[in-house]
Amino acid sequence: MQTEATPAQADVSELDLVKRCQAGDTEAFDELVTRYRTRVFSMIYNMVHNEQDAWDLAQDSFVKAWKSIKRFRGHPSFYTWIYRIVMNVTIDWLRKKHVKGAGTEFDDAIQLRVDPASKTVPKTEALPYEMMERDEIRARIEQAIAQLSPEQRAVVLMKELEDMQYHEIAEALGCSIGTVMSRLFYARKKLQTLLRDVYENI
Amino acid sequence: MKTFEEKWTTWVDGQLSGRELAEFEASLPDKAAAEAEKAEARKLGKLLKNELGVRALTNEEFFSHQLREKIAQEQASRRFPGRRTETSTWWTIPRLLWTGTVSIAVFVICTVLVMHEKNPSEESQYLTQILNARVDPVVSPNATVSMFEVKQDRVTVLWTEGLQSLPADYAAK
Repeated sequence: MQTEATPAQADVSELDLVKRCQAGDTEAFDELVTRYRTRVFSMIYNMVHNEQDAWDLAQDSFVKAWKSIKRFRGHPSFYTWIYRIVMNVTIDWLRKKHVKGAGTEFDDAIQLRVDPASKTVPKTEALPYEMMERDEIRARIEQAIAQLSPEQRAVVLMKELEDMQYHEIAEALGCSIGTVMSRLFYARKKLQTLLRDVYENI
Repeated sequence: MKTFEEKWTTWVDGQLSGRELAEFEASLPDKAAAEAEKAEARKLGKLLKNELGVRALTNEEFFSHQLREKIAQEQASRRFPGRRTETSTWWTIPRLLWTGTVSIAVFVICTVLVMHEKNPSEESQYLTQILNARVDPVVSPNATVSMFEVKQDRVTVLWTEGLQSLPADYAAK
């Protein structure tokens, strides 16, 4: 898992912040939000593929975290704990949307174009045709991810993007390590089938 | 006991070792194909990491500001639970019952007033009865003759009922 500060510094100050939050200090919570808002938003966005929905779900997740912070006992890490809330909120939302949309959500009811107002943090300035190509690739990936179940999406994104360990993913999703591995197996198989031509031609 | 899917995933992620690794690789029917698939899975992982990556929030400060407001509202509602109930649940069951009762009472009052205005004992503004007589009981026992007058329009209406035949002495001259 990536952290911005060194693990020791991050853990100590994070625990301190959590304790202050538990005493009702909203500024401490604000600090925790500042640390995790981008990663939380990014993870949710990669699951729902819509900026406004991702924003709202990230807000809901943090509000829930604030409401239940007194129940947090320091294990697992705050990051895994907040991810558990994020995943519950997002997976519930995806399930409800799937029910409302009568099964269309997992096919193509997603925004395929990237919002021009959003940033994807490019490493270097790309040429226009390269940007178009990247947009196209990204759209293909989003389409493929949209065909996975919410749980499979969560597992594959936490593993591949966040480099989380199986046990961390299991804690975040409230399931067994075996279930995580099994979901990862099927999610990868499906994505390999759908995206083979993309990764073979890069 | 791990399932095949679990072993495969840990093998792809390079987390199988020792005897478990040797046993798993020995159980593969086509090791070359499995290795190719493992390489594909790694390419897929790399593709996802490179192309999805971190998506930045466009307005981080506004995000935090909005969240602070929501949390402040949450705290206020915890401090004043009565106020929260008052604002969040407008149509409670007692309120609905009270509104229903008032509506029924207003309806009943209006109905009584309207019926009172239509009392038949009051004289009509437009129609006045000026004659109510019986015809000769021998000729037409059930016949009646009534006359009404509309003052405003200067019209007189003759209303007969049960008249079997017009008596000879009633004929117009």
